[in-house]
Amino acid sequence: MSHTRQQFAKMLTTHLKMTMREKQAWFWGIFFPVILMVLFMLIFSGSSDSTFSAEVAIVEEQPNAASQAMLQQLQQISALELKSDEPVTREQADTWVKEKEIAAAIILPEAESASALQLIVNKENEQGVATQAIVGILDKLVQQANLTAAGAVPTYELRLESVSSGNEDLEYKDFLLTGMIALAIAQGGLFGMVDMVEMRRKGLLKRLRMTPAKMSLFGLSDMTMRMLFGLVQIVILSLIGVLGFGATLHLYLPSLILVFLVGALSFNAMGYLFSSFSKTTEAYMGMANIASFMMMFLSGIFFPVETMPEWLQPVALVLPLTYFVDNLRESMVYATGLGSASLWSGLGILALWGAAAFLLGSRLYKAKSIAAAR
Amino acid sequence: MAVLEVRNLRKSFGSVRAVEDISFTVEAGEVFTIIGPNGAGKTTTLEMIEGLTVPDGGKIAFGDRSWEQHANAIKMKIGVQPQSSALFDLLSPEENLELFSSFYSQARPVEEVLEMINLTDHRNKHVKSLSGGQRQRLAIGLAMINDPDIIFLDEPTTGLDPQARRNIWDIILRLKELGKTTILTTHYMEEAEKLSDRVCIVDQGKVVTLDTPSALIERLTKEREIRLTFIDEEEAAADAERFAQEQPSVVRTEREGTALQLWSVQPEDTLFALFGFTKERNYRVEQVSIREMSLEDVFIAFTGKEWRD
Repeated sequence: MSHTRQQFAKMLTTHLKMTMREKQAWFWGIFFPVILMVLFMLIFSGSSDSTFSAEVAIVEEQPNAASQAMLQQLQQISALELKSDEPVTREQADTWVKEKEIAAAIILPEAESASALQLIVNKENEQGVATQAIVGILDKLVQQANLTAAGAVPTYELRLESVSSGNEDLEYKDFLLTGMIALAIAQGGLFGMVDMVEMRRKGLLKRLRMTPAKMSLFGLSDMTMRMLFGLVQIVILSLIGVLGFGATLHLYLPSLILVFLVGALSFNAMGYLFSSFSKTTEAYMGMANIASFMMMFLSGIFFPVETMPEWLQPVALVLPLTYFVDNLRESMVYATGLGSASLWSGLGILALWGAAAFLLGSRLYKAKSIAAAR
Repeated sequence: MAVLEVRNLRKSFGSVRAVEDISFTVEAGEVFTIIGPNGAGKTTTLEMIEGLTVPDGGKIAFGDRSWEQHANAIKMKIGVQPQSSALFDLLSPEENLELFSSFYSQARPVEEVLEMINLTDHRNKHVKSLSGGQRQRLAIGLAMINDPDIIFLDEPTTGLDPQARRNIWDIILRLKELGKTTILTTHYMEEAEKLSDRVCIVDQGKVVTLDTPSALIERLTKEREIRLTFIDEEEAAADAERFAQEQPSVVRTEREGTALQLWSVQPEDTLFALFGFTKERNYRVEQVSIREMSLEDVFIAFTGKEWRD
């Protein structure tokens, strides 16, 4: 069937030309995700490189043996940055805390017998991360001091080691990069089918049905073009993420290709479903916007699903984008192989969404257009 | 030779009977025009013939081919320009033609079609920047890309300026020269009269009448409307009216001030007698006209509806 192949080639170049000439496609498909990613990278990933540190001041009003010992130890803790190397007065420390120049003021014991170690923090920051961390550090210090005082040797010790399923820790920029790629591909599908609404409104679908052109071939060429566009999105976003922000990717191509294909097809099927009952582009865009916005914030694109309120988390477990972004991270950051069960269950749920949307969409198209079978 | 036969076509949408009973035969090489008021069932009839809508009953045959058995073969040999000129706006005329050309096993060279629709100079412009007339010409070009035997043009000139309309007439006449069969619908009577070999008037889903334009006009009563305006006072017009009423050829008269209208079955005789009378009385006539019967009168006579342009 060389005529079929020729027809397909012609249709594909037509779709490519139209996409290239459609400024909207470039803006929403490439430019917008890039801008969004760059913004999020700049805002949120700056602090993830350095370890925790907080600025504090130490008040030592009546130096004594105990306070001297503690001061020495405190000065060695790298997480605590001293505002001034020498101890300051209580008044000075209070002012700094009030003006939030320091995260906390530590008041050393006033006498050897007085064992109280005081911590002063700003009321506003009482629940803050820095306060919690400082409390933790001091708590440990006090415990050690107690143990030493009692002449005991610590038997147990806590060692923290972060664990992730891949060979390296997932850094926020990797998380965000893969999230943005998933979002861009999902939005490409959800918004992209606006062409169908336009073509139907302008009578182009009807016009094509009057020719011997195979509509299935036309649809296939359209999907091929969308897949190519998706690849461009992946490459451009990855290059910016890796080269511009130092994100690290560990790709496993077979998984990535599979996840990409299933995901892109599913989200396009959802767009197709929207197009089947939207008479105008405005109606379609409204639908696509609702779906896209809901998923954007509930599917763990910008922040992990676990950080959402408990009662909201089940919603994420229903949304297809949750599975798409998870699987994309598996295949792009953790290089997860095809043997992973969670990969397949995610693909299954995505495919289920896609298949349901497609079947419902084509039923609606059939019901609405007369003699669509011909 | 009949290239298209339509018999007892019927189609309802819910409780609305769009097409009740339409039959006609189109001969090879003719321009066959379907006219009718809005909602008469023209577009539904065309869409059934074009294979977009399945009729509830009746028969459509392209020679010995039918939609049920030869859908693809029919699509290869017909060309359709739908009412809404459906074009790919982001492509150029040339690219539109090339794409459609790829749908058919046999196609006319794109170059030749561009020439025929006079878009060679605009071949690389994007369609969205073309004028209404240029777009419409391209839509017709797409309909003829497969060198079809039968071409359907659904209101090809609606909304176009007179020059653009004339350009499209030239294309239709050119197609006729090439021996193609054209099935046309239009809102312009002048166009139907000028281009058509036969006109089919459709109303309320039925064929009201079908014949050549001149035969249709002939078929109307021979009454002609004559208008006269007198320069002098009203009395002259009133006098002339009284004289006209005595003439056996005059059916009826109407007068408003110095303007006199009369309907005559023998307008030449009536005018001859009337001018004899006015000359004798020295009445001066400023304007005189006989209204030509047109397809529009035929339309009004058959459908009882005013034609809207």
